[in-house]
Amino acid sequence: MTWLRHPLLHRALAIVLGAVFVYASREKIAEPRDFARIVYHYQVIGPNARIGYVPANLLAVALPWTEALAGVLLIAGVWRREAATVVAVLLVTFLVAVGWTLYHGIDVENCGCFTVAGTGRRAGLGLLLSDLALLAVAAFLAAAPPGAEAARAEASPGALTVPASHE
Amino acid sequence: MAIRWSRVIAIPAAGLVLGLAWNAWSGRGIALGGNAFLRQGDAIEEIEAREARARLDRGALFLDARPRAFYDMSHVPGAFPLPEEDFDRSFAPLEDRLRRTFDIVVYCSGYGCEASHVVARRLAEKGIRAAVLHEGWPAWTDAGYPVKEGPQP
Repeated sequence: MTWLRHPLLHRALAIVLGAVFVYASREKIAEPRDFARIVYHYQVIGPNARIGYVPANLLAVALPWTEALAGVLLIAGVWRREAATVVAVLLVTFLVAVGWTLYHGIDVENCGCFTVAGTGRRAGLGLLLSDLALLAVAAFLAAAPPGAEAARAEASPGALTVPASHE
Repeated sequence: MAIRWSRVIAIPAAGLVLGLAWNAWSGRGIALGGNAFLRQGDAIEEIEAREARARLDRGALFLDARPRAFYDMSHVPGAFPLPEEDFDRSFAPLEDRLRRTFDIVVYCSGYGCEASHVVARRLAEKGIRAAVLHEGWPAWTDAGYPVKEGPQP
């Protein structure tokens, strides 16, 4: 299946995935307090009596910028596989967090995926499925580099046309 | 080309640095050790289970901000239900009593639950001061403090 190694496919998927993550980071960056409240609702890394508020607050501060940074790198096509790896790790984390709330019967009214104000999407099975779909894209970008010959063509300046047979 | 793991580490590390910088200088940041359920301007006192128990023994009035079904199962003895989602209707019959009480404690389902802060804030808007048991109901039961079952206070 040579088309799976086509550089244009990789570039297009990276732009879509990157755009999703940049968009997702927008409100979280603008409203750190609201996003921190959502992190609390999950009750995965506190706050609680043992570890206090710091871990949850740090996550709320660092996660949106990591999403934005990985998203921008994916869109720009810089460090694409590494950025995709970061996104894949983030998505696994989200899956674990949502799975945790479902398992423990914690009702998270707003998953904090794209919006942090008021009610958003509920953390539920539908969310698990869409996270899995995004994870498939991220894992694909992280695992498989585009065809070697085509990648060379992509790297050399001015050579924007993809060879007809890049096998 | 193989994945460079140093870059994989560098991305979240840069995210953390950017996030901390933004948190420090954007004017929208949060106190890293503080409770984000508290808003600026909130004058809500947060207390722990042991302190709440002491206040109960001194005759403090407890308010249960959880959904009514949880209250009906069990609650702090003497507590009245004042669920966040039904605040206005539940507040009316309690208003006189609350205005005569100076020691009020609100609780909900624990650290991940915001209802007690919301209720305390709405009470403050009406000029009624209430402390929040920020560890909530789980801390109360874990400590082995008394509980009352059924829908009666």
